[in-house]
Amino acid sequence: MSAAALDRQIRPIYDALDTNSNKSAIVACNKLLKKHPKNELIKALKALALVRSQKVEESLLLCDEVLDLKPTNDAVLSAMMHVLRGLGRHKDMVTMFEDAYKQQPANEELGAQTFFAHVRAGHWKSAQQIATKMHKQFQEDRYLYWSVISAVLQANDTATPPSMRMILYKLAHRLITSSPTPSYQNTDRFHLHLSILRELELYDDAHKLLDSDIGKAICSTSLSCNEIRRDVWRLRGMIQDEGRLAEARIVDLKDRNWLEFLSILDATFSYLTPSNNIGLSSTSETSRSECIGHLAKTEALFTRIAQEDGTKDRSAALALLELEKRAQTHGISNDSGRLVALMQQYFDQVGDKACFFEDLKPYLALQGEELAKWTTFLESVSTSFTTASELRRLINAHKSLRHNLTQSDLTVEAETARVTLYLQQYLEGLKLGTHLPSTELQYADDLALLTANVLVNLWRLTSDEQYVLNAVTLLEFALTKSKQSFQSRLILIRLYRLLGAPSLALEHYRLMGIKQVQHDTLSHLILSRASTFSLASTGDITLATECLESTQIYLSNSQETADYVVRAFTGEKYSQIPEFITFEDRLDSSLQRDIVKMEHLRMRLSHEPITSDIIDMELIELKFIFDRAHHDNRDFVIFANYQPRTSDDINSQTFLFGQNESRGWLWTFLKLYIRAFQQGSDLDDTVEEKLLIGDRPKQTFDADKRPPLKERLVQTSEEELAELTQDELLFVNFASALAEWLEPYHDYTRPPPAVVLAEAAKQTELKTGHPLKGVDLQALNGASSPVKKDEEPPSVTEPPELVTKFFDSLKARFLEVQKNVSPIEALHVATLAQEALLLFTVESLRFKSASIVKVNKLGALVASFKCIRSNAVAALRHISAELLKQGELVGSQESRKALVDACATVTKAGIDPDFAVDVAKKVTDSRKRVLEGVGKGLSRVCLTYAH
Amino acid sequence: MSVLRPFKATDMFKFNNINLDIWTETYGIGFYLSYLSRWPDLCCVQEAPSGRMMGYVVGKAEGASTEWHGHVTAITVAPEYRRLGLARKMMGLLEMVSEEIYKGFFVDLYVRCTNDLAIDMYEGMGYSVYRRVREYYGSMGVGRGGRDEEDAFDMRKPLARDPHRRSVRANGRDMIVSAHDVS
Repeated sequence: MSAAALDRQIRPIYDALDTNSNKSAIVACNKLLKKHPKNELIKALKALALVRSQKVEESLLLCDEVLDLKPTNDAVLSAMMHVLRGLGRHKDMVTMFEDAYKQQPANEELGAQTFFAHVRAGHWKSAQQIATKMHKQFQEDRYLYWSVISAVLQANDTATPPSMRMILYKLAHRLITSSPTPSYQNTDRFHLHLSILRELELYDDAHKLLDSDIGKAICSTSLSCNEIRRDVWRLRGMIQDEGRLAEARIVDLKDRNWLEFLSILDATFSYLTPSNNIGLSSTSETSRSECIGHLAKTEALFTRIAQEDGTKDRSAALALLELEKRAQTHGISNDSGRLVALMQQYFDQVGDKACFFEDLKPYLALQGEELAKWTTFLESVSTSFTTASELRRLINAHKSLRHNLTQSDLTVEAETARVTLYLQQYLEGLKLGTHLPSTELQYADDLALLTANVLVNLWRLTSDEQYVLNAVTLLEFALTKSKQSFQSRLILIRLYRLLGAPSLALEHYRLMGIKQVQHDTLSHLILSRASTFSLASTGDITLATECLESTQIYLSNSQETADYVVRAFTGEKYSQIPEFITFEDRLDSSLQRDIVKMEHLRMRLSHEPITSDIIDMELIELKFIFDRAHHDNRDFVIFANYQPRTSDDINSQTFLFGQNESRGWLWTFLKLYIRAFQQGSDLDDTVEEKLLIGDRPKQTFDADKRPPLKERLVQTSEEELAELTQDELLFVNFASALAEWLEPYHDYTRPPPAVVLAEAAKQTELKTGHPLKGVDLQALNGASSPVKKDEEPPSVTEPPELVTKFFDSLKARFLEVQKNVSPIEALHVATLAQEALLLFTVESLRFKSASIVKVNKLGALVASFKCIRSNAVAALRHISAELLKQGELVGSQESRKALVDACATVTKAGIDPDFAVDVAKKVTDSRKRVLEGVGKGLSRVCLTYAH
Repeated sequence: MSVLRPFKATDMFKFNNINLDIWTETYGIGFYLSYLSRWPDLCCVQEAPSGRMMGYVVGKAEGASTEWHGHVTAITVAPEYRRLGLARKMMGLLEMVSEEIYKGFFVDLYVRCTNDLAIDMYEGMGYSVYRRVREYYGSMGVGRGGRDEEDAFDMRKPLARDPHRRSVRANGRDMIVSAHDVS
């Protein structure tokens, strides 16, 4: 058959792969392979179809076969690239391209692909070497720059020891100065060059580049190069020059970038910075008077610009404020009333803009006379309004006043009076916006948010739930008037969770249309400690699914971001490459990602039967996570916070259980589960090494200096534990006592690695028809029954009290918190009790087998399990019954009526009582559902694991 | 008062106050990364001194021969920072870069035919309607505004390289093309 004919036959395979019809792709491959059993491309394509249909083992076989042939063909390489990426084998991809390039060293495309393979794997050192080689061979400038930035990236990599950093930057410098063409021919090359010089503190060299005509031209059009220029000038002490340049840009070019104003401000006060009076205890008189002279000039300049710009641009007006504030800080302001006077002016000018409060925040922290004057001014703002602009002024006055309230102003009476006032003005303000289309926000929205802030504060002051209910009703009402007010939804989500109405929180979360990268920054809203509300134990996996959906973004990140790094290399956008890599890493090692992973695991264990497969798989995953340097990308500043600066912000006021879980919480739970799974699993490190495919997580340079995992698993710190709730702490103590107790029995009974491997090989052979590579099946001979060991089994000890008493003490805790109005504490204790039973099951699974118990003489151990288990089940059943009762109770007419009555504040103000009834019904229904669900789930878990 | 600076990949972690607004779409990370990997100088951010993002613009350069131009793919400002002239500043930067760096003939953008506020604003900046694109926003279906809701105006502003203003025309509102005819 001719090559063309074969091509024609292969095309349908590509089509099938493109449309994700992997099954038909496999069928087509098999058919062609009969005729062409040695064809690399068909094999590679089949491997791809297999990996996409999750048939990893079969795919691996084919994949290795093709790799052994050391392919050089373009199509084969590109198919294999996808296969290896699907298998997470970036290192093998590197080897594949390297082998190909070695066979065809004159092939420039192969060289580039090899370089990119290293880039994808983050092997900066090898990437740098290949780029250097390519530059020598193909004489293209771009390859030289590839090697330059590879050296920079290696310097910045966490796997590089700090001592190497400067050496690598020097290498980058040497390489870039060897370039036959100057770097300024391309903005991004120029940027790279400057950033290297800055890092090496070669400011004079950088300045020389910048001071050329071409350098100036680049900086005038490129924001990123100008950013470095500003930095270099400052580092060279050219603060006055920078100030003059900024003035020229502001005056001549009408540039209103705030950075220019900051440059002038810095220049104005540069006389007083420490570097200018080294050795002097106080600022010398000359520099003081110089500064005062400059201050006057700057003030004149800003005043003139502010007048020219009027309401068109507020930069100069705000710069005047900043100027005065800095003058005060340096003690050279001669008019103590000026700051407040400027603030008043600013209010007159910008007070009707929504951004006023944010703009002024840095200047609001006043004291004494200034504060009194400012407060009097704000209090004089008219409380009646007939236009949106007047309403906004009033709102800004409220926000600014509230910002400065002290603890003594925050009494229940005073806060209650504020609620009444804001609420009345809110309802009045709505009238101004009756004509607005439903897609617009109401002018009065911020008054509803302000009221909600005060109500939340009242709840914190009194622990009285009625305030939360009023806030919820108000915000729900506000959303009927202003359908797109995501700020209302954000607070509602938090409040519904505090009320123990998680389904309503989820509803609002979904309405916000969170997608893509927002899953990383915002899913904390709904998934923080979500296992408390999970009904996975009853088969309802809504929240577990939400967890999985939120993690899609990490998959996209690992599949896509490297492609764009490669694109940035191809397009020589060097300024973007370090940014993309930082982005990739921050998403890949996201704290939220692994918090969600942990929550999902906790839900999963309550849903799926606990088997050794789950234990093994989760163990490996958790171990991968364990050493990640986590980045916290969660967005907590998104909330509209109008709490006074002396009190907590609304974000921290509304954390579930008053606790924000972070690295400490995650670490504690990771250690707990890794330890339990390690005990329950037969996989030790040597077995794992053999069985695991794909790359291992990248290690930091000091990874080998860390103590062994086993030691680190039992380390704890006060700081970490402080992130736990009181009940979580009980659970953690239970888990560690349990693990401590059972460790010797696990270690004794665990089969030797050779046997585990042989068994795995047998299973693979049954599945795929081929044995596992490199595994000796001999070990299995005669090992089908438990191995008898030479040494004596450890003698069985009594279980520690922390274990035997745990379920009773948790039951007592439950009965105590059950009295609370909100059901969340009760749900928290109940779900932790359930988790403890599940953990116990994980830990005791190995001893289910009667023969293992018999051979190892562990009968006494199993007897004490029985005791613990029946005690646990009894406690859980009791809790379950109580939850069901409570569910019945909260769902009753009376409790709904009580909720409606509690909403008197908002209904009296004018919100329709029927509306409050609707909200109350939703809340009680949601509470009932979660209480009954968790209750039923508990008894189901008891049923499954009673024996 | 705002800082004008380049859009960085990590800004995706902090643009929620802008993107939670319904008029702003949150695309997959590939969208932002593909623009940044090709036209980083046509993507910029306006930021408050506190570091809070106020708005951003994402643009590209495209077209053959005299159609070579800067294109505004997305421009958005957070609700609380509207009516402060931020869009104008970002457009200014994009026009400057399209002219100086890319040597384009014009800058263009698409706007919903019903969005009078935006159309007025762009006209104030020197843009004019070049053509009407049928069903450009087709996915929304015919809304309250009828056809106007799903059709877009392609608006253009000539740059210095087009001194004879060949890239614009007076009767653009009557020139109707279908969405398939535009990229």
